[in-house]
Amino acid sequence: MLPTITVDDKKCNDPLACRKCLLICPSHALGLGTKVGPRKFKEIDPDQFMVAGVRYEKCTVCMDCVKVCPKSAIQVSFLTEVKK
Amino acid sequence: MCEWCERYAEGHERWYFNPANYARKLYKIRKEEGPEIQPDPVVAGGMSLLDRGFLEALDRKDHEAVAKMRHDVEQLAWKVHFGQVVTLEDTLKVVDIIYPIALMTCACRRSMLGLPDEENFTCMGMGTGMYKWERWPQTYRGGIQFLAPDEAKDVITKMNKRGLVQTLFTFGTPYIGGICNCDYPDCSAIRTTVDHGIQFLWKGHHIARVDNELCNGCTSCVHRCQFKALSFSATQNKAYIDPFQCFGCGLCATECSQEAISMVERASMPALANVW
Repeated sequence: MLPTITVDDKKCNDPLACRKCLLICPSHALGLGTKVGPRKFKEIDPDQFMVAGVRYEKCTVCMDCVKVCPKSAIQVSFLTEVKK
Repeated sequence: MCEWCERYAEGHERWYFNPANYARKLYKIRKEEGPEIQPDPVVAGGMSLLDRGFLEALDRKDHEAVAKMRHDVEQLAWKVHFGQVVTLEDTLKVVDIIYPIALMTCACRRSMLGLPDEENFTCMGMGTGMYKWERWPQTYRGGIQFLAPDEAKDVITKMNKRGLVQTLFTFGTPYIGGICNCDYPDCSAIRTTVDHGIQFLWKGHHIARVDNELCNGCTSCVHRCQFKALSFSATQNKAYIDPFQCFGCGLCATECSQEAISMVERASMPALANVW
């Protein structure tokens, strides 16, 4: 089983400036990316950056990122299978 | 033998000592090169070739699916963008081959930690393409700084001292366009290679060996290894290096005050000669 990590992009609008979740994650499981690829002669605006779960297999579901996020934008869940 | 040397050394000792592999054409007919690979914004964090599907296949131990994805990703990476670990000594020789060299910000550490540009100048771009850096403000976020060869050597030596591994990266193999200074866990190439067994980073041409007569058990080398190859034997009170896991970067050797760790040619060990 892998955890699910979702980041609400509308709430998290300048992750490059905040980056609290990236720094607190003990296994560096989160990643910072951009919604658009590099474009010629164009810089990418801060609101085009986004945080997402990347290295799910390293996430321990410690919830530190959820707690540290000032915008309450991160949700982490781990669904265990019910034995039949 | 190293596959890349076999294909691209053209008589030079190693493929990365062949000046032709730094001489990418300034102008090219793009149509002949096929479609450009676009980044997938959803898979942030420097793992743009891998997605959750790979991790799920690993997790459910679907070995067949993992092997297929691994193979496909490696084939693509080796064609377009992959790296090889190099010793400090070899890296300094490379600096004498290619000009210009420019210091730039590291995309991996930006995606892993959101490291601010001013703290993030650990990457080096090489070749005539660097003169066009202003066309790609996002790729060269934070600007670049051109370095004279001696300055570049000084910067690389300092980064080695700091504990960063030197790696060379292709940009359209065999063209080598970057010297990266990497560490675990924030280099996505090291992580993809060490954590997932996807050979995005090839081992180097050397192997570190400990001379147990000279090792005084001071442990100063232990924190230097970025590849989980070096540990400390409490039984023997010596550094222990797994030769099959060693990437041959030489960071442990440059730190050792007793000169107890030497870098030997991978090719000199029959069972390691083809372990990349």
